[in-house]
Amino acid sequence: MKVSYNWLQNYFEEKLPEPEKIADGIIFHSFEVEETDKVGNDTIFDIKVLPDRAHDCLSHWGIAKEISAIFDLKIKEEEYKTFEPKQTELKIEVQDEKCLRYMGRIIKNIKISESPAWLKEKLEAIGQKSINNIVDAANYVMFDLGQPIHSFDLDKLTSSKLIIRNAKAGEQITTLDKKEVNLDESVLLIADEKDPLVIAGIKGGVKAEVDNSTKNIVIEVADFNPVSTRKTARKINILTDAVKRYENEISPELCEKTMHAITDLIVKVAGGEVEDIVDVYNEKQEERTVEVSVEYLNKRLGSNFTKQEIENVWQKLKFEYTEKQDNVFEIKVPVLRLDIIGPHDLAEEVIRILGYDRLEEKLPEVKCEQKANDLFTKILYARNKLLTDGYSEVMTYVFRDKGEVEVLASASDKKFLRTNIADGLKESLKLNQLNMPILDLKEIKIFEIGTVFKKGKEEMHVAFNVKKEIKEMLLDEFCKDMGDVEVAFKELINSVPKLNSEDKFNIWSVYPFISRDIAVWMPESEDPENLKKILKEYGTDLMIKEPYLFDKFTKEGRTSYAFRLVFQSYDRTLTDDEISEIMAKISHKISENSSWEIR
Amino acid sequence: MDKNLEKGREHPLSVIINNAVKVFTELGFSVAVGPELEDIFHNFDALNVPKDHPAREMQDTFYIKGEDGKVLRTHTSSVQIRFMEEFAKSGKKPPFAIIAPGKCFRNEATDATHEMQFYQIEGLLIGEDINLANLKGVLSHFYKKMLGEDTSLRFRPSFFPFTEPSIEFDLKYKGRWLEMGGAGMVHPNVLEACGIDSKKYQGFAFGPGLERLMVIKYGMPDIRPAYHGDLRFNQI
Repeated sequence: MKVSYNWLQNYFEEKLPEPEKIADGIIFHSFEVEETDKVGNDTIFDIKVLPDRAHDCLSHWGIAKEISAIFDLKIKEEEYKTFEPKQTELKIEVQDEKCLRYMGRIIKNIKISESPAWLKEKLEAIGQKSINNIVDAANYVMFDLGQPIHSFDLDKLTSSKLIIRNAKAGEQITTLDKKEVNLDESVLLIADEKDPLVIAGIKGGVKAEVDNSTKNIVIEVADFNPVSTRKTARKINILTDAVKRYENEISPELCEKTMHAITDLIVKVAGGEVEDIVDVYNEKQEERTVEVSVEYLNKRLGSNFTKQEIENVWQKLKFEYTEKQDNVFEIKVPVLRLDIIGPHDLAEEVIRILGYDRLEEKLPEVKCEQKANDLFTKILYARNKLLTDGYSEVMTYVFRDKGEVEVLASASDKKFLRTNIADGLKESLKLNQLNMPILDLKEIKIFEIGTVFKKGKEEMHVAFNVKKEIKEMLLDEFCKDMGDVEVAFKELINSVPKLNSEDKFNIWSVYPFISRDIAVWMPESEDPENLKKILKEYGTDLMIKEPYLFDKFTKEGRTSYAFRLVFQSYDRTLTDDEISEIMAKISHKISENSSWEIR
Repeated sequence: MDKNLEKGREHPLSVIINNAVKVFTELGFSVAVGPELEDIFHNFDALNVPKDHPAREMQDTFYIKGEDGKVLRTHTSSVQIRFMEEFAKSGKKPPFAIIAPGKCFRNEATDATHEMQFYQIEGLLIGEDINLANLKGVLSHFYKKMLGEDTSLRFRPSFFPFTEPSIEFDLKYKGRWLEMGGAGMVHPNVLEACGIDSKKYQGFAFGPGLERLMVIKYGMPDIRPAYHGDLRFNQI
C-alpha cells in the first residue's frame, strides 16, 4: 500500500522524524517497507501490510497509529463536525446476513465540481486519479481510515429505499467501467426496488452513478462478510481497493467514524444538507478482553521485561487495560484489532514494540530423545556409496511433460510429476558428455536420489548410469546392506566433510569451449611441471582451466605426458583459427627444448 | 583400469544439507521427513491457515488434477504436523526437537533467486519453556557454523498463520544484511491440532530456504543451474 509522508504528518502536531527514520521504524516494528520514493515535496512509502494487520493498517490512520507507538509520538484524533438532526426518507432493508452492517445517509443539494487542490494532491501522491469532489472524498476517506465508501445518485433510484439482497439467477449489472456482469444467487447486491445498483463491497453499477448533474446523494458505509466478498470477487474477477479491505475482514465498528468523516468532508468540498443516518447493525461486534501476565510474556519471549516496560507497550498502543492482580493485565482489545485473540498475540505486540534487538541469543538447555531417521539415513548411505564408487551427484527437475500425476494451474509445458529419475538422468548424461573436456573426468558417472510420483503414491528412487544405460531402483532396495540405522547414521553424519570457508563458486561461460590435446615425450627424470608451466603461459587467458593430465606412460627412458587444454571466452564464441594459432605458439616453444618431443 | 578410483563429486545442495543436519544433530535435534505430495490438512488446515483466507495465497500452490485436497507441499512445515501427530499419538511427552530438510514446490515464475522446486529446512523444538530467545540462539549458532563466526542475526516482525509471534530473520554476512527466512513461536492452535497441550508446552519453528544459504555460502549468481543435472555445478 502506498502511504504518503505528508498525509501521515497530518496526524501529528510534532514534526515527524525524517522519512528514512520512519521507514526503518516501520521495518523493525511493524511491516516491510518495499520502497521509499521521493515525489515532489512528499515521500511515498510502499508498505507491505502483513495479512493479519490488513484489518486495521490498510490506511494512513492505521500506519499513523503504528508510528505513534513506535516513536512514542502523540497522535491527533480528528474531530468531525456533527450535524443537526434532520428526518430522512431513506429506508434500508437488509435481507441477508452477509451484510454485517449498513449505514446510509442522504445529503441533498450538493454541488459536484473538481476537488480542491489539497485533495487532488493527496490522492495523486498515492497514485489515485482525481474524478470529482464526491468520488474523491469517498476515496480519500477510504485511504485515510481503511473503510470503503460508496455513493449513489438519489434521484436515479426507483425510490428512496435500498435493499441488500442476494442476486436472482440470470440477473445482470453493468459496472461503472461498463462491464456486463452476470450474477447468481451467491452474489450479494445493493439494489433499489427494481434493479441492482452495486455488487456489495466490490463494484458499483451505472444505474445510480454520481455524475456532473447529480444533486442529491446517498452515502453508503457498510461492512460485508469477508469470505463471501472474496469468493464473489474471485468468481467475477473484479479486484478493487474495496475488495482488498473487505476480504481481509474489517470491523463493523469502523463504519461510524467513517460516516462522520465522509459527511464532514463532503459538506466541506460540495456543500449540501445532511439528513439523519440510517444504521442497520443487527449483530454488534463483541468486545474482547485478553488476560496476560508478565510471567507468561517473559516465558514465551525468553526476556526479563519489567511490569513497567510492558505497561508502556499497552500505553503506546493505546490499549485500555487494568491490572487484575499483581503482574496480571486484562487488556481490552481495540475494536479494529481483530488479530488479537489470545495472550500469544500480545507477546508479539510486546516484543515488536520493545524491539527484537532486546532478545538475547540463548541456546536451549533442554535434552531431547534423539533418533536416526530411516529414510534420511538411507539417502546418506546411498549417496556416500555412489560417491565412493566414483559417481557424481546431480539433481534434475521433478516436472516433466508426461507422467501419472498432473499439477493444476501451471502455465508451463511441464505439468506432470516424474514417474522415474531415468529420463532426467539421460538428459543430464548427454549434457555432461558434451562437457567432458571441461569436467576433468575420464568417464561420466552420475546419479540422482529423489522422489518419483506414481498414481496414488510417491517413491524414493536411486538412479545411476552404467555407460549409456540408466539403472534405477527403490532406495530401500539399494540400501539392503546398510545394517543398523542408528549406527549407520552416526557414522555417516560424523564423516560429513567440513565446510571450507575458502570455497567459492565460479559460474561458467555460456559460449562454447574448444578443447585440444597435446602429448609430449620428456626425459623420465624431468618434472612435467616444466611443461605445464609453458602450456599455462602460452595458453593465454582463454585457457579457462589448468591443463588436465589425462594420460601418462614411460618407455625407454622417456615419459609421455598427455594434457587436455580447454579454451573458452566469457564474452564471445572462439574460432578454430585463433586456437590453432595459440597451439602453434605452444608447439614452437616446446620444440625449443631439444630433449622434448611432441608426439 | 584406474585402481585409485576417484571419488565422485557431491551436489553442493547435498553438502549444505548434510552440514546443516550435522550442526543440528550436535544440538540434539533428530531428522524427520514427510511426503512431498501432501494433503491440504497437513499443508494448510493444521497449520492454522484458514480456508478462503488471503493468507492461503501467500504461497502459490500446485494443486493436483483430479485429486481434490492434494497439493505439492509448499513448505516443510507440513512435516512438523506429521511428526507431532505421531508423537502425541504414541503417548510421549515433549520435549522434542526435529529438523526436516526437504523439497518443496511453489507455482511461481522462476528467476535467479526463485525456482518452482527448492529445499527448505524445517526446525521445531517444543518443550515447557522453549522461547523466542532460544530461537535466536539456535539460528545464530547454526549460521555461525555454516558461514563463520563473523555473522550476526536480527529479527523483524512478520506473519505466518502457524506462528505467533512470527519473525523474519536477516543475517549480516560480509558487511551486508541478507534476508534469510521466516520463523516464530509455534501457534497454540497448531499444537492443539496435533494433540499437544498448548497451555503446558511451547516452542519455536523455523523454515529457511537452503538454496539461499548455498548461494550465499559459495557466491553463486543464480540458483537455477542446481537442477539442470549439470556437473559443472559440482565445484565444491
